[in-house]
This record gives sequence, C-alpha cells and structure tokens, in this order.
Amino acid sequence: MESIKIRKITSIWIITVLTLFVASIVLGILMRLNQGGVLQQTPITFYSNMTIHGITMIGIWFVAGMAGINYLMERYVKTSYTANLIALILTVIGVLLLWAVTLIGKFHTAWTFLYPLPLKVMWAKWATPTFLVAMSILSVGWLIWGISMMTQVLKKYSIAQAFAWQHFKKDPEVKTPPFILISMITLVGVITCLFVAVVLMALYFAEYFSGGSFVNDALLMKNLTYFFGHTIANEMLYLGLAVIYELFAEVGGRPKWKTTWYVALAWNFTLIFILTAFFHHLYMDFVQPEGFQIVGQLASYLASLPAAAVTVFSVWVAVYRVKIKWTLTNLLFFIGVAGWVIGGFGAVIDATISNNIVLHNTLWVPAHFHTYNVMGNVLFSLGFFYWFSIQFTDKLVSERFSKLILSLLIIGGAGFLLAFYIGGADSIPRRFSNYPAEFTSAKFLANFGAAFATIYLIPILILFYNITKRCLKILFSSSS
Amino acid sequence: MQQSSILLLFFFLMGIALIVFTYVYLSSKKADQGMTNPLKKRFWFFLILTVMMGIFASVTIPKSPYFAFADKTPAKVIHVAAMQFSFFLSENAIDPEKPSGQQIELPVDEVVEFRVTSLDVNHGFAIYDESNRLITQTQAMPGYVNRLRYQFDEPGKYNILCLEYCGMAHQVMRSSFTVK
Repeated sequence: MESIKIRKITSIWIITVLTLFVASIVLGILMRLNQGGVLQQTPITFYSNMTIHGITMIGIWFVAGMAGINYLMERYVKTSYTANLIALILTVIGVLLLWAVTLIGKFHTAWTFLYPLPLKVMWAKWATPTFLVAMSILSVGWLIWGISMMTQVLKKYSIAQAFAWQHFKKDPEVKTPPFILISMITLVGVITCLFVAVVLMALYFAEYFSGGSFVNDALLMKNLTYFFGHTIANEMLYLGLAVIYELFAEVGGRPKWKTTWYVALAWNFTLIFILTAFFHHLYMDFVQPEGFQIVGQLASYLASLPAAAVTVFSVWVAVYRVKIKWTLTNLLFFIGVAGWVIGGFGAVIDATISNNIVLHNTLWVPAHFHTYNVMGNVLFSLGFFYWFSIQFTDKLVSERFSKLILSLLIIGGAGFLLAFYIGGADSIPRRFSNYPAEFTSAKFLANFGAAFATIYLIPILILFYNITKRCLKILFSSSS
Repeated sequence: MQQSSILLLFFFLMGIALIVFTYVYLSSKKADQGMTNPLKKRFWFFLILTVMMGIFASVTIPKSPYFAFADKTPAKVIHVAAMQFSFFLSENAIDPEKPSGQQIELPVDEVVEFRVTSLDVNHGFAIYDESNRLITQTQAMPGYVNRLRYQFDEPGKYNILCLEYCGMAHQVMRSSFTVK
C-alpha cells in the first residue's frame, strides 16, 4: 500500500512543479520582453513578477529534488509518508500565499528580500506580514520533511556510516550507498539553512511587531539571508546529483556506482565548503570582516573541486568508451552535468573578488545561476520526472522525438543564456525593469534572450504534457 | 578591459568543457572496455585542477578592493548617502535628518575615498566611466559606512547607478560627478 501512496504523492509533486515551472518561465519571458521595450509593464508589475519568478523557481526545484530523493530513498529506508504529505500541503499553502502577496498585494522585494526592504511598505499593508507567514510556512514544512528523512536514514545507518566515514579504512564491513551519503550531506545543509530561515523570519516578526522598539542589524540580516538563500539554491543542485548517482548507471544498463574513500572524502569536504561559500554574496560590503571575504573566495573555489573531481569525472568514466543505452533520461543527466560545469565556470569567475567588483549585480549574475539551473539542475530533475513517469507505463518517447526535445532545449537555453553573459560583460545591471538609454545593447539582448527562452519553453511544454499525462494516470489508477 | 578578458576566459573554459563532453559522449558509440585504471587519471585531473585554482586564488586575492590604495592618503574624501531613490554626495559629513548634496569634482590621477552609507534600505553605489563600463562599486547599507578607494586615470563625467535592488524606482536611481 505504502509504495502506491509514495508513487501518488510523487506524481502530485511532479505535476505541481511542472505547472509552476511553465508559469514562471512565462513570467520570465514577459520580464525580458519588458526590458526589451516590446511590452510596457509598470515597474511595480515588473518587480512583483520578478519577485514571484525568483521565489517560485528556487522553491520548485528544491522540492523537485526533495521529492526525487524521497522516492528513491524508499529503496534503502522507509520514509515518512506523513512528513511528505505535510510538506506538500504546507508548500501548496505557502506558494498560494506568495502568489497572492506578489500578484494581488504587489509585494516586490525581489526573492532576496534584503532587510529592511520588506518592512518599508510600498504595497498592500497585508502583504508584508503575509509574505513573512508564507516564508515561515514553507521553511517549517521543508524543515519537517528534511528532519524526518534524516531521522529515517539514521535509524538504519549510524552517523559515521551515513557520512561514509568507515570508507576511510580499507575494506569496510558496511558499505554506504553513494545515494545515502549524498542525501545525508545535502540534508544537513538543507536543515541548517532552513533553521537559519526560521531564525531570520523570527527576527523580522520581532521588528514588525515591536512598533519601532526593536531594530535589526542590516549586516547580520544580510549574512543570514544569504546563508539561507545561497545554501538552499546550492543544496537543490546536490539533491539532483544524488538522483544522478542513483540512476545514471542504472538507466544506462551499467553496474551501480559504489562509495570509495575519495568519494566519501570529497562529499564530506563539500558539506563544509558549501556552508561558507555564501560569503561571496557580501564581497561588496566592505565592512564585512576581510577574513570572511577571503574564506568566501576560497570556499567557493574549494566547493567546486570535490564535485568536479568526483562527480564530473565519474560521469565521464561511466561513459568514456563504454557501451551505454542512451535514453532521454540519461541524456538529460549527461547534458545537465555539462551545463552544471559551464555554469560553475561562470560562478567561479564571479566568486573571485577582483572580478566581482565589475560583475556584482550585473547580468553576469543571472547568467551563471541560470546556466546551472536552466541547463543543469532542471535537466537533472526532468530526467528523474521522465524516468519516474515511464516506470508504470510502456509507451516511451521515441528516439527521434527525444533528439528534437534535447536540440530545442540546448538551442533555446544557449541563446537565452548568451544574452545574459554578453550583457554582464557589457556592465548592464540586473533587476532593472527598463534600461537607461546609454546601455545601447541592452534592449536587443533582452529581446534576443526572450526569443530563445521561448524556444526553450517548447520542449518544456512537450515534456510537461508527456510527463503530466502519465503522472495523472498514476495518480488516478487504483492498482499497484 | 577587465570585462572583455573575463568573457573571453569564460568562452575558453566553456569551449573546453563542450569539447570534452562531446568527445566522451561520442566515444560511447564505438565502445570497448572503458577507461583503464580511471583512479590514476582522476588523481592527475584533481591535481591539475587544484594547482590551477591555487594559482588563480593567489594571483587574484591580493587584487581585492579591500587592499587597494590601503597605504595611501586620499586626496579627497566624499561622503555618500543613498536613499530611495537618489544619492547625496558631499565633501562634508551628511546629516541623516536633513540630507543634502553638492556637485562633486574629483582630481585625476589621485586616490579618492568614498564613504558610502544608506539612510533607508540597501542600495548599490556603482561607478560607470564615459564608455559606460562599470569600473568599481560598493554597497550602501543602513547603519554602516563602506569605504571605497579609487584612482581615476581619465578626466570626464562618471555616472553612479544603484546596483542593489531597492524598490519600484531602482532603475532610475542615479547621480554623477566629474573628474578633472
């Protein structure tokens, strides 16, 4: 019975994510068209759309990763259906509130909601407290989910085993599957940053209800905001990677990947580096202690090393001169890893302090994070969604159709991202509803980006139809 | 220009990644037994990456803005107060209750210091040269003063833009000064 329930709830997660994804892409295209002068939105409409576009994208790809690892974790440990259901209900409530807050209440702080902007009410009065309530609901829901999954893992594996420390010795008795190791590492990061989010919300509430007697410190709030925001945006990538470790070899008809001492070491180091890399968001705050700034650059560099040397290299080794059964699933994974690497280059360049001074808050920033999302993490999760949906049906996407889908994803994604990178190198600011006349290339680049984002949307709609149809069938089927 | 070199470096790295991924993918079409002893090659791959990043970090960190002109005495100090949706620039300290600014003229080839703060939310303080290129920046944060030092090598008009999203008129928040 339980396996049917988890199958059904995973289907609901997938349908929810894909629906919100399509809606958010449309908002993104409208934003680029407005910047290109094709549309004339008011700045408030533009910034409200920008706020909900950002929050939704971060939220859905985080829950997509969580739903993915929850489903696959059932292979190793029994997960809590109740926690999964609570997370789903609270996510739906939180998302509905956030869409109401931005689209009806015109709340427009951007998804980073830097203190004290949410408290300087320039929108409907109810929007600020509702936004804080919505963010708290999401944080608590996801925290329950994360803690529950970690508890279930620790019921079967000891802490040392869950972190694969026994692999540092020769021939360990208990072998930790890579999927468990990466899920565990990621869950620690997820729980930590969600806990910080709850603290952040509590500080906002304290100031909001204090009537002016309590005022927060702007530098502390910025550190907390990016500890939460940066970390959750990175952890969702690692959730996607956990899925790849579990499925890449399996889908290609190859033996499953094993944990070795260097895989264990690399992922344990990743945990440390990923929790300190957020400092790079504060490079331009010169009052931040210099030590934190240097740690930010070093951690940003070092976070990429184990990931590259272990994950990317493992994918290459798994494919290089090896007969692989290529399907839409592992092709999405493979292209996603390439996109992740390329976005990583853009990120490491930006995480270099001496570059950041001419790139910070230009279009280079959306350029790199869209790369490892649009061409990386999204493809990891789409690969999982597709794989999941075909488990219970015999009709697959034909090879020729797969090629069309992938070609459109690559062409659309590449053009869309190129406009951002060139814009960043041209010093064009990010988060401008309209560009000043002196940025002569800005409008053209915005429309160019919008056109290619529309091409990217086509295969997404095809996959949306294809996967959702199957998920609905799973949802409404009565048999196992 | 720094931005052009950055873009070229990015395209170069992206090109390498695309070649390697394409090569690896195509190799799976004429398969044999796979890579012999991948662990040995992994070590070299890891070592090369570590050395490259080590060099990159040791070259770039000393160029961080926090250390720029640290041993010099600025020829001029400019106080900057940012507020939704304008900048006040003054050679004198700015009263947060009654902020006011003045036209600023800075000397060429001399170190100047901007002391930047905000009177409400977070803002950016980004300086663009006459060719409209971002040359330096810092953040304007309420309750804190960021000190940005810079030496302008070219006379001309420089624009200031807000680069931290601050609300509905963020895109029109700007100011300027001249360097002579």
